[in-house]
Amino acid sequence: MSAAIQFNKVSLKYGTKADTVEVLKSISFSIGIEEVVSIVGTSGSGKTSIIMLASGLENASKGSIKINNQEIVGLKENELSEVRRENIGIVFQSFYLIPNLTAVENVLLSLEANQKFNLEKDAEELLDEFGLSHRLHHLPSELSGGEQQRVAIARALINKPKIILADEPTGNLDSVNSESMIDLLFDYTKRSQTSLVIVTHENSIAKRCDRIIELRDGQIV
Amino acid sequence: MARLFDIQQFRLINKYAIRDFSRSYKKLWVVISTLFVSLLLLSLTFSVKGALNSEIENNSKELLGGDILVTSGIDPLPSDIIDLFNTLGKVSSAIEFGTMISKQGESPVFTELRAVDNNYPLYGDIETIPQSASERIFINSQKPSVLINESIQTLLKLSFGDDVVIMGQKFEVVGLVSSVPDLAESAVFGEFAIISMGSYEQFGLDSGGSFLDHEYRIKFKNSNQAKEQEELVKSIVAYDDSIETRAPGESGQSLNRVIDNFSNFLNLVSVSAMVIAGIGISNTLLSFVNQSNTSIAVKKSIGFSSGFIQSMYFYEIMLILVLTSVIAYLIGVYSPLLANELLPEALGIDLEPSFSFLGFLNIFFIGLLVVLIFSIPSLYSISEIKAGALFRNTFNPVSLNFSLKNIAILSVLIIILITYFVFQTEQKFYTVLYFVAFFTTMFIFYGVSKLLILFIKHSYKFSTNSYKIAYRNIVAKKSLAPIMTISLGIGLTLLLTLSFVANNLKKEISDSIPSMAPDLFFVSIDRNIQSDLESFIKDIDPNVELEFSPMASASFISLNGTPVEEVVSENNRSAWVVRGDRRISWSEKPKLDNPIIEGEWWEPGNENEMFVSMDSRAAYDLGMKINDKITLNILGRDVTGVVKNFREVDYRDISINFAIMINKAFANTMPYEYVGTLKSELPPGDILAKVVEKFPNVSAIKIDRILSQISEVLNKVFIAVTAISLIVIVIGLIVIVSAVLVQTTFRRYNNLIYKILGVDFPTILKAMTMEFAVIYGTLIFFALTVAMISSYLVVENTLQLTWQFDLGLTLWILVSTAVVSFVLILLANRSIFSPKVYPLIRNE
Ligand SMILES: Nc1ncnc2c1ncn2[C@@H]1O[C@H](COP(=O)(O)OP(=O)(O)OP(=O)(O)O)[C@@H](O)[C@H]1O
Ligand SMILES: [Mg+2]
Repeated sequence: MSAAIQFNKVSLKYGTKADTVEVLKSISFSIGIEEVVSIVGTSGSGKTSIIMLASGLENASKGSIKINNQEIVGLKENELSEVRRENIGIVFQSFYLIPNLTAVENVLLSLEANQKFNLEKDAEELLDEFGLSHRLHHLPSELSGGEQQRVAIARALINKPKIILADEPTGNLDSVNSESMIDLLFDYTKRSQTSLVIVTHENSIAKRCDRIIELRDGQIV
Repeated sequence: MARLFDIQQFRLINKYAIRDFSRSYKKLWVVISTLFVSLLLLSLTFSVKGALNSEIENNSKELLGGDILVTSGIDPLPSDIIDLFNTLGKVSSAIEFGTMISKQGESPVFTELRAVDNNYPLYGDIETIPQSASERIFINSQKPSVLINESIQTLLKLSFGDDVVIMGQKFEVVGLVSSVPDLAESAVFGEFAIISMGSYEQFGLDSGGSFLDHEYRIKFKNSNQAKEQEELVKSIVAYDDSIETRAPGESGQSLNRVIDNFSNFLNLVSVSAMVIAGIGISNTLLSFVNQSNTSIAVKKSIGFSSGFIQSMYFYEIMLILVLTSVIAYLIGVYSPLLANELLPEALGIDLEPSFSFLGFLNIFFIGLLVVLIFSIPSLYSISEIKAGALFRNTFNPVSLNFSLKNIAILSVLIIILITYFVFQTEQKFYTVLYFVAFFTTMFIFYGVSKLLILFIKHSYKFSTNSYKIAYRNIVAKKSLAPIMTISLGIGLTLLLTLSFVANNLKKEISDSIPSMAPDLFFVSIDRNIQSDLESFIKDIDPNVELEFSPMASASFISLNGTPVEEVVSENNRSAWVVRGDRRISWSEKPKLDNPIIEGEWWEPGNENEMFVSMDSRAAYDLGMKINDKITLNILGRDVTGVVKNFREVDYRDISINFAIMINKAFANTMPYEYVGTLKSELPPGDILAKVVEKFPNVSAIKIDRILSQISEVLNKVFIAVTAISLIVIVIGLIVIVSAVLVQTTFRRYNNLIYKILGVDFPTILKAMTMEFAVIYGTLIFFALTVAMISSYLVVENTLQLTWQFDLGLTLWILVSTAVVSFVLILLANRSIFSPKVYPLIRNE
């Protein structure tokens, strides 16, 4: 069976041996290629933790995680970087653009990490598509929150990753902005045949997904 | 991981680094400025030293005055030998001796007088005012003429055309010598005059004293066979040991050594400056990393590895290093032009800038090592930044990464740095010692800052608000205490140590010596006129304190049959006693101010046997024992004597002292002259004027003149040395200010909270003053202790003087440094006092 993401009995614990918090309790699920899945759950239920594990930015305490059939548990930092570069685009709640780079430069960063050069055209086109043609050479501090998040999404998409991981991408946006942004994200993933995992608190968003994974106390319900 | 020499990867690093640098160089100003200043200091020392050495090397013939120099001492060379010289090339003979120059109504001046022939100088030029004055001394006339240097002109208030008297003969002053090609020390620092050989002979100016040298310089006809001809000359004069020869390469050696020592000292100071700059670099980079932590995390989340990001920042620092070192080097290269302006004109030195890629590499390499040492722990902290934090919006500040691997790398780099320095210098031992002392001091100050924090934590806590704030600032994680104690501490220790040493030296010269020192020092008095001179002076001043000692020249041949060269190493403290010509004396009874500390004085009589009394310290250094057998060469004859006793000699009182004395009965059998000292209530200049008028051949040096010459030279050296150690303090201050600036965000936040809590401005100011006072107080306590110990060691052991503490000077240095530092810290902190706090918080 081919899946984009595969969690098999994954546990995540924090803290010392004496005082441990088991954040994820032997979770198993898989997300298919081109599948759009939302993760919902109460605060503290472990949604972000799943995204962190899937992106290789956190180490699982137990279990196996496969990204495009490649086991990533136990990989070294450099190997994880490579998996991430080649497969994954991340969208954060707080955008996190690099403050001293312009919109285009922020987007190009993703390409350059993958040794793809001289693709300013592509980056500009994508931003254009996202309605940012007049903001290409502005610094993040000169952009509105919605604009910043669109740049951040462009940065995650430009590299044509097979998987997009988004942790409450609309959390810092008003409803109008959030609506248009989600449209953008869904549109693009459909068109480019990408899997999308989106953590959200909003039912309207969750409903638009192919599937909903609900978490409670570190377990899937 | 990407391949190490991936060209794409490199291009990307290059691109990012340049982009980042061009957009955030303001955050790196500390790295740029401190690195630049310390590299500049290093570059200046290297360039000026290089230029001086090459000037000496290129002008070695001018410095020597010929292709070879032959010195025969008191006696001239026989004419058949001079004839032989004449077949080899052009010969210029000269006589140099000390004598008095006097003018009616002024006190006579002891001068180094040089009588030269028509061929002088064989190389280079005498520079005079007016320009043609040097020719006028050769014009044969009834009244001979003399060229004097500026110092004589000032002392005797002379103008051109005035008459002066030299050994009873009138000379007309026809010009001023501003420089001679062959460096004459007295031309630069003292009194120097030139007359023609013709007038010397015509007027019989033979002083007959032992302070006279016949010199012969030869300019070979066949200059391309210089080596062979040199050998030939050496073989011609080989018949007499007392005749010395010197080739051009050998002439600048002692000067070279002085330059080497001084530049080595400067190099060490530069490296110290650089290490302090390194502390600033490390601190700035770490805060730079912490400020950029989200950007770094984002890059990681996109898929850049820590290694890549580290390489990028490292590359950026390399760019700064290349840039600053190129500029520092270029300024350094042209600095000899400035040095020309500062060096005394009489030296006749004209330094030229010289560019060498190797010279640049040298500076770059040292800069590279320092930058590596101080940036590795900062840059490796990048690997501790977790991209996962982007999901939780929590960023913990990272700290210096001292992993075992890093410690190993750092140790290797530090060892390379020290070794690199040690191998470049002649004084390997002192260089190692300096580094050890330097790093120890650094450790001490680091420990001190930690102890201070610990002490404050456990001491009584006052309940005033300002104390609480000060307390919190000192014990805080980002406390100023460590960086301030280390960077200011080292600079202050260096400055205090150097000024203590300088001050002790100056004190010794300016006040303690003259009180007990004689006023005049008579050199080479003919034994036949000694008693006449003595009674003449006693007629002028019945209460005069006069002391005459007989004196002869001797050289040390062997100790217990072993040649001295094998007994004593070059750097033995007392090597001077056994090297070259020594003046020895004798007496029937022991001198009162030379107490015997071992052995016994001899019985009078015994003409056939030589007994020796040695300076106890020299004896100790040379490993002598009572009853050892010493062989001296006295007037060409080897004589072996028995060591009978050791005397404690204190050379500081400038009375007549001899390291080696022998028994009078034995010495009476050989030719000798007298030296003497005079101390009188009357003006010594007046006595001297009368003496010189009556005894034209008697020469005497005024002690106060010598002392003022020495202190003049010392003063200049000390000003230079202090200025240089001030640079270290300036760099320390930059580092502190940068640390303060790094802190302001964090302090601003605290102060905002204090404000909200109702703490007013005076309280915050009081808290800052308290914080500064506590840190600075601790710092000066240790800086002072280290400086006192090290200056004590230098003054008492190396300089053999009595160490004294000068409270005024100490207070002056400490208070002025404190004021400057505190004002700078307040200025750097001024943004936290500004009312516009809220927008700043929002931007965080
Ligand atoms: N470093 C840590 N140490 C201990 N516990 C942690 C740590 N990081 C997260 N946790 C805990 O893990 C649990 C899951 O956190 P996670 O961020 O995944 O929740 P979430 O579902 O994303 O919540 P939210 O909707 O509020 O973002 C929380 O209870 C949190 O307190
Ligand atoms: Mg979350």
